[in-house]
Amino acid sequence: MADAEEDASALSSVDLSRVALYGALLAVMAAILTPIEAGLVTSFKTSPGGVSSTLPFAPPTPEFFTLSKWSAALNALGRGMVNSALYAIPATVISAFLGSLAAYGLTQAQWKPRYKAPLLALVVAGIFIPYQAVLVPLSRFWAVYAPLDEWLSFLWALGINDDYVGILELLITHVAYGVPICTVLFRSYYKNMSIEMVESARLDGASLRRVYRRIILPLSTPMFAVVLIYQFTQIWNDLLFALVLVSTESSPAAPVTLILAGLGQSQEGVDFPLRMAGAFIAALPTLAVYVMFGEEFAEGVAS
Amino acid sequence: MAELELDALTKVFQDGDDEVVAVDDVSVEIDDGEFLVVVGPSGCGKSTTLRMVAGLESVTSGRIRLGDRIINEERPQNRDIAMVFQSYALYPHMTVRENMSFGLEESTEMPDDEVRERVEDTAGLMGIEGLLDRRPTELSGGQQQRVALGRAIVRDPEVFLMDEPLSNLDAKLRSQMRTELQRLQEDLGVTTMYVTHDQTEAMTMGDRIAILDGGRLQQVATPLECYHEPANQFVAGFVGEPSMNFFEMRYEEGRLVGDAFEYPLPAEIDEAVAGATDVVLGIRPEAVELVGERDGGHDFPVVVDVVEPMGNENTVYLEFEDTAETLVATTDGMLRITEDERVTARIPEDAIHVFDGTTGEALHNRTVVDEEVASVPTE
Repeated sequence: MADAEEDASALSSVDLSRVALYGALLAVMAAILTPIEAGLVTSFKTSPGGVSSTLPFAPPTPEFFTLSKWSAALNALGRGMVNSALYAIPATVISAFLGSLAAYGLTQAQWKPRYKAPLLALVVAGIFIPYQAVLVPLSRFWAVYAPLDEWLSFLWALGINDDYVGILELLITHVAYGVPICTVLFRSYYKNMSIEMVESARLDGASLRRVYRRIILPLSTPMFAVVLIYQFTQIWNDLLFALVLVSTESSPAAPVTLILAGLGQSQEGVDFPLRMAGAFIAALPTLAVYVMFGEEFAEGVAS
Repeated sequence: MAELELDALTKVFQDGDDEVVAVDDVSVEIDDGEFLVVVGPSGCGKSTTLRMVAGLESVTSGRIRLGDRIINEERPQNRDIAMVFQSYALYPHMTVRENMSFGLEESTEMPDDEVRERVEDTAGLMGIEGLLDRRPTELSGGQQQRVALGRAIVRDPEVFLMDEPLSNLDAKLRSQMRTELQRLQEDLGVTTMYVTHDQTEAMTMGDRIAILDGGRLQQVATPLECYHEPANQFVAGFVGEPSMNFFEMRYEEGRLVGDAFEYPLPAEIDEAVAGATDVVLGIRPEAVELVGERDGGHDFPVVVDVVEPMGNENTVYLEFEDTAETLVATTDGMLRITEDERVTARIPEDAIHVFDGTTGEALHNRTVVDEEVASVPTE
């Protein structure tokens, strides 16, 4: 009896606004997932037959199904994945660490706010310098003022392809470009940290460096997750710097984005399944990073 | 362990183009093993003073001497001082054990097993041995407080600094910790500087109390001296609960004249007050007597306005007729007294204080004669 009444009241509480809300959410979800789904099913189709004879969102029929596009994409991109990882991972870690250190100096270290402010202004300005504006100075810098190519000639003598200087240049460039945003992200986090806790550690006998090492750094994990995910995605996906510093996809040092840009393009037409498979492979590492640091990421964003 | 001396300590903050004097020429000497409570209203400079001693705030002028070292320029980590903060400031990512070991690891070369032993001994002393492997977030406020104290004690520093360490505790726990802290300090014999805004803490805990107002030191003395012989009106009003009654009066040849009443002065007080024109008459609530009948010039007819029964005593607010002036009296808890009752209040001449109306300086304090101070009867 009572159950029936409850059921009735539960039904009446399903109001229209709720229905509309879920409807809208479903629509948004569809809008986001459809291109991904389309890309995924396309990557398993033969080309050009499979693409032209099936609907874009429909899975391939057995006769048009193939895994060869994935293996081809993997073959083409494998070298680029390794090259990208060679600079993206160190650049991410170094820029996050330097940003954290700089933010520590700008917040918890005791010096005059009068001197801190202009420095912070410079850092913030650094975030807003557009990539395009620095392309020419950047290539001139590496060619004329810091000819790493010449400095590292002993490495090339050891048999390492001298194209790999591009990887090193990308690494340093991305660190320099990433430090400002990392600093600002860490700064807001450190500003909310208890000042008394740091003071207490100072009184406990810890030097500025030890306070960073034993108090600040361990407490920064959530923010490191945010910064690592953000920076890694930025650096991994960057094409502009790669184009300027490495320039050709045929180079042994070509990053994955550079190879992906030309993948499946030929005079006969565009091989869409190959491009789709390549795009998924190139995106895998960024997804992996999200999955790895997801929990800390949520905590860091919430703070 | 050492004595701590503040000599003409001054702190000026720059606020844009303005200079704000937070601590103004404070000199006080704290003996080895002494418990000094620095007390004052918020913004009086007491925390700034403490932070200068800790090295967390730079010294504008003056000297801080610890034992035979001048520590003005010394970095906080080299001062051998432990501080307990109001927020406890525990390290949230460390267990209680790690929190307590941190200072020893950072400031000494002590081997690990000795650190462990010291931490466990101190935890035993503080009654937190069962919590050693927990993190601060898993502890109650009172337990966190104990950890914060333990973290300071375990280092066995030259000086303890405490910045309102009990103010985040509930009333019951606070009075418990007050007693415990006092006992601990006595056992350990470490020179302690304790900052609070709570005059009860100051009165009950300190060997001596230093009262600050507006960055200036008002008086340094034992709690009872501050209570009975305040240096000025500020001290008189700050120490004691309920506060001393004050009446603004004019001095006229042998008597004080105010809006509410006139008060004839006996010869010796008259002598001390003579020369002043505007004065403030002070009388502690417990010195006010309610008497049956008017008998002499120190008795005044008043109306009972509000009665606050406390059980052991009543706080009674008495109003002088036709004026807004109120006289607060504490009476015996068993005394039956009701609102709107007309009674006679006596302000005994041997219990009054007279302060200068402009400077606030004490012109006359009550005399505490030895016979009045009873000792505990012994067999």
